[in-house]
Amino acid sequence: MSSLAAYVTAGVLLLAITAYSTAGGVDFGAGIWDLLAGRGKQGRQARSLVDHAMAPVWEVNNVWLVLGIVVCWTGFPILFESVFASLYPLFSIALVGLILRGAFFAFRHIAQDPRSHRVANLVFGLSSLLTPFFFAACLGAIASGRVTTGGPQLPVWEACISPMSIAFGLVSLAATAFSGATFLVGDARRYGAAEMVGYFRSRALISAFVLIAIGSLALVTILLQAPDLAKAMLAGRGAPFAYTTMLLTPLVAILLWRGIFAWYRILAVAAVGSMVLAWGFAQSPYLLPGQLTIADAAAPPSTQVLLLAVALCVVLFIAPAMGLLYYLDQKSALEAPHT
Amino acid sequence: MLTLVVTSLDLVASESALLPSRIQMAFTLACHVLLVPLGVALPSLTLLMEAIGIFRKDPTAIKIARRWSVVMAVQFAVGAVTGTILSFEFGILWPRMMGQYGSAFGLGFAIEALGFFLEAVFIGIYLYGWQRLPPRIHFLVGLVLVPAGLLGAFGVLASNSWMNTPGGVTISAGRVVDVDVIAALFTRALGYEYWHFVTALYMTAGFVVASVYAVAWLRGRRDHYQRLAFAVPFTIAALLTPVQLVTGDLSARALVTDQPTKFAAMELTWKTRGNNPEILGGLIDPSGKVNFGISIPSFDSLLVGYSPDAVIPGLSSFPADARPNTVEANLTHLSFDVMVFLGTAGAALAAWYFIVLIRRRTLPGSRWFYRLAALAGVGCYLCVETGWITTEVGRQPWIVYGAMRVSDAVTSAPASFVWTMLGTLVVVYALIAAFFVMVLVRLAARWSRQDRAEAPEVGAPYGPRAPTFPPQPDLSS
Repeated sequence: MSSLAAYVTAGVLLLAITAYSTAGGVDFGAGIWDLLAGRGKQGRQARSLVDHAMAPVWEVNNVWLVLGIVVCWTGFPILFESVFASLYPLFSIALVGLILRGAFFAFRHIAQDPRSHRVANLVFGLSSLLTPFFFAACLGAIASGRVTTGGPQLPVWEACISPMSIAFGLVSLAATAFSGATFLVGDARRYGAAEMVGYFRSRALISAFVLIAIGSLALVTILLQAPDLAKAMLAGRGAPFAYTTMLLTPLVAILLWRGIFAWYRILAVAAVGSMVLAWGFAQSPYLLPGQLTIADAAAPPSTQVLLLAVALCVVLFIAPAMGLLYYLDQKSALEAPHT
Repeated sequence: MLTLVVTSLDLVASESALLPSRIQMAFTLACHVLLVPLGVALPSLTLLMEAIGIFRKDPTAIKIARRWSVVMAVQFAVGAVTGTILSFEFGILWPRMMGQYGSAFGLGFAIEALGFFLEAVFIGIYLYGWQRLPPRIHFLVGLVLVPAGLLGAFGVLASNSWMNTPGGVTISAGRVVDVDVIAALFTRALGYEYWHFVTALYMTAGFVVASVYAVAWLRGRRDHYQRLAFAVPFTIAALLTPVQLVTGDLSARALVTDQPTKFAAMELTWKTRGNNPEILGGLIDPSGKVNFGISIPSFDSLLVGYSPDAVIPGLSSFPADARPNTVEANLTHLSFDVMVFLGTAGAALAAWYFIVLIRRRTLPGSRWFYRLAALAGVGCYLCVETGWITTEVGRQPWIVYGAMRVSDAVTSAPASFVWTMLGTLVVVYALIAAFFVMVLVRLAARWSRQDRAEAPEVGAPYGPRAPTFPPQPDLSS
């Protein structure tokens, strides 16, 4: 019973990470394209599309982040302690990126002179790179087995900077750019910006190829650095999700290339989400590979039960509301009526 | 070369990060706590105003409610950012506390998260709903915000109370092996902390909102809009001032048994004794001598035990490593004094308001009243800060009272790292604060333009005189 509750809690944690990677990823991806948009007329147009598309939902995604953090420290206190004791530099950079991004996204709506506008754009764009890279690098560092319980046993920098953490970070950047671009194709279509449809379509295609290339390199890195994890990803619990990703990413590229504008966004989200799930399932039952299992790290059962009750409330009340928000946003139902 | 870098890193690493970690936590919490009163209580004030608008068919009240809801959303957005930072800081700065006690201490935050999510979702619906929902439905949807805010406050206060009066955990071999969820959520301190804090939030929100319209009054605005927007929040806040004095008194007296070292620091009591004087102001030195204060003989004993013989715990009865040091005791004491003084002043202002209201059936017309009402908002923020300093600094050196010291919970990160992060956060917070104020100032300017633009001929030569706004000398009092 107690270990069942712990497994469900671990599932909630993995779901929160997946939700943040997918929903947040689309958002960060838009920021990356904002950074790469350049100064010309086309760049301005792209940027205003990003702005318009992000406005209603950009903040809601933080819900998943907070849920993940809270579930982690309450449900698996030792995991939380170990991860932060070893990886605090990565978390700190991701966090600073997160605040800067929010602050400067808001600021560019207030800024009036062109110079502060440019600064705001730059900070917003750069922080859109920082946060997804460094959060994912944390997962890579965990997967590498360099995070240890009972305080950091390796120098912190060695735990943080490894081929695995860099590989995870780069995959995350490619994945967010990819899902961001596919959603911007959809946004351009619904705002009737024909020029922007082509603009983001080509970018989605390029980033799909980049994602496939970087993903393959990352897989090689995992094979070399964490063979057990690689095995579980390719021929174990993670396999269904890993193959889903490998199938869906090219499929989205084909759909966009052929100009078939159906399903491509859902499939892009599924591709990115499966990537996270492939890692999570492959690593189970370990929270820290080779060191800490779900059962070992679990808080006492009564705590798990309360946590699951809260998670259930979130699923019952919050998830439908957020689903409605995403849906209304995609239907353009959230624009202010013209009066 | 590499070894040189590594050795210098090790050298820096040997310095403890305790001081910068405490400063960073204090700084970020001090900022966040300023956003809490309006975050939790402004929705209630807004809904009350909306209800007035609906039931009295008063478009002005609806207009006010609508404007407040915008302020509510802006301020909630900033609070969400500063709150997210705090949750990461638990891991970055205090990992060992989380590892040891997360399963009990963290429970409150799980509940807080639920309140926060509900509030985030429903603030969005409420804002978008102004133009899309029938008024009554819109009001009912908004009602969710009230319990959501109170639930969030409950979660945070449950966690904070757990740090003050920990309970509900079974420890074996240094590890928490069992948690009694109910006992861990409802610890002794929650009873008084929760009501004292929630009352503080509503009082502060009321005084802060009213202070904006007190300033408008001082600048000469005297219309239905100003009167309504001033009177509703001010009345709520004024009604709560006596309640707050009572819950504050209960809290302080509970500390005598629950956290005697904190109480000793608040009252600057050095030796455990009866006939303990109440000391106003003053600073204690390391030998236990109090300088500069005004001492009222036996009054502390009288307040605590209703008898001059009541014995009050003193700092010197506890080992030096289990009680606040001199600096912490002085900070706790002075903060406590400031909070009590300002709280009492607020109650006096409330009394003035009600006396005028009952005797003359009208709002006060005195310039001095509105000057003080304009200051009441700032005063309340000061009370929130000093109250928070009293409870947090007064708990030192413990992070979990009697169970874990702050120095045992702190990160093993090098001090230089935490200093760097602190510096970065100060800069970023300054930017956020600047943006926040800019947004509010723009909103206020836009609204006052709208209010003036209703009749273009007003204020023109030969046209009717402008009602009372923009600023003009006040002739009525």
